[in-house]
Amino acid sequence: MSPAAGIGLRAPHLAEIAREKPATAFLEIHAENYLSPTPAAEAIERLRADYTFSVHAVGLSLGSAAGIDEVHLGRVADLVRRLQPAYVSDHLSWSVIGGRYVNDLLPLPYTEEALDVVVRNVQRLQDRLGRQVSIENPSCYLGFTHSTMSEPEFLSEVARRSGCGLLLDVNNIHVTARNLRLDVRDWLTLPADAVTQYHLAGHTVNDADGEPILIDDHGSRVTDAVWTLFQEVVRRIGQRPTLIEWDTDLPALSVLLDEAQRADRALLAAGDHAARAA
Amino acid sequence: MPLALPELQAALAGHVVGQEHAELLASVVGDSIPAAARLRIYRNHVLRSLETALAATFPTVQALVGDEFFRGMARSFVASDLPLQPVLSEYGAGFARFVEGYAPAGGLPYLADIARLDWALNVAFHSPATPRLASGDLASIPVEQLPAKSVSLAPGAAVLRSRYPIDRIWAAAQPRASSETVDLEAGGARLLVLRRPEDAGFVPLGDGEAGFLEALAAGRTLEEAAELALATDAVFELSPAFARLLHLQVFAAVQ
Repeated sequence: MSPAAGIGLRAPHLAEIAREKPATAFLEIHAENYLSPTPAAEAIERLRADYTFSVHAVGLSLGSAAGIDEVHLGRVADLVRRLQPAYVSDHLSWSVIGGRYVNDLLPLPYTEEALDVVVRNVQRLQDRLGRQVSIENPSCYLGFTHSTMSEPEFLSEVARRSGCGLLLDVNNIHVTARNLRLDVRDWLTLPADAVTQYHLAGHTVNDADGEPILIDDHGSRVTDAVWTLFQEVVRRIGQRPTLIEWDTDLPALSVLLDEAQRADRALLAAGDHAARAA
Repeated sequence: MPLALPELQAALAGHVVGQEHAELLASVVGDSIPAAARLRIYRNHVLRSLETALAATFPTVQALVGDEFFRGMARSFVASDLPLQPVLSEYGAGFARFVEGYAPAGGLPYLADIARLDWALNVAFHSPATPRLASGDLASIPVEQLPAKSVSLAPGAAVLRSRYPIDRIWAAAQPRASSETVDLEAGGARLLVLRRPEDAGFVPLGDGEAGFLEALAAGRTLEEAAELALATDAVFELSPAFARLLHLQVFAAVQ
């Protein structure tokens, strides 16, 4: 996959993409939406001839203290075998406990205990798939008092110990840093050679007890602040395949493709800058 | 002493469904946004996203009761029955039964059956479009052996019975339906729900056809199923009924 921008493939756009075959570096799908043999899943498999895929999971729950659910892991592995995507990823978060699925990317305390859990689960996933997976930094609305590491320190250790890649969601960096009063520059210290992919998305500003809080809702264009941070990230870490994510209030396909073109231009501009600096 | 990870995760999952936990609250950093308000963001997101997932799986129920009522009903269900796994299209197996006992919906006695229809359509949609039995497949079986054979139904095929005209209620609740009223006393419905090549849908069945398919689904032979169908429906005729069901592509294979 060349370091260019792709888009999230969402069900309402499927027919148009199958018909028009618009140019994009890759298509990303949420694993959990394509695990059963629906007409949409059949259509996705037919698109394999035309597109590179990224399979992005949201439900493997890599931070679960009790380990990964064997049945779900098997279903995701089966999808990955059928689609042979260029990338497989999930999040630094958890959502499964006691056989119940809490539908969110729930935060972890960044402790040695949690680090052992995540590394073990990521290794289990990579062993099962027989390939490297990438772990995405989540958007956070709270931090834990007993965390002993920063999120970038924790992610660096997960990558170092498990050999996984890091998927850097630039919008999530912005959202988490604002919400938890952190400095976005902390994320620029991540090991560049572990970073495999970038995500870009829009967020919204909500009210929490009279204070603004940024919510990662993937429902609008990427904000100016996030584009600026993206430039900094690419200059520091380098060009990588970049995804435009849009999940709520889905606009016309052309809007997604337009955002992806903007990301392509930003990658080129920052990449040139990085090359000159080197 | 901070909560160990398993306890922390149990406490946070409990918080989402409405339990308060002092040690969890004490483990969360609060500032100008208090810890409780930060935790509430997760609770609201989980509940709201699962309400949305249920609305996608039960669109007809939602259309009949409206978004606000649906969300209230869905929220009560979610708090008592979180998903068992991360595939949200497979969440809601117990929703129809919940709707049946949900007192505020007591004025709509057909609502639980509409939930059963939405669920059956959802299950059919997520079932494979594997090859179906065609008349040519039967040609190789000697006619005298047919009565003793059993026939399996296609994945996702289901027979639904209701004392209400749920097919007409369903049609009236569709986005572009005319505003025609449905007479609830018009009689019940027997529907065959099945996966079609590009979607899932249903067709009305005669009483005998429904009984025939139910008996086949339970593993009875063609002869036994036909006898059972005839016992409840005096006008049931095996040959045209079988031809119609074969044409509808409801059968998977002859055993």
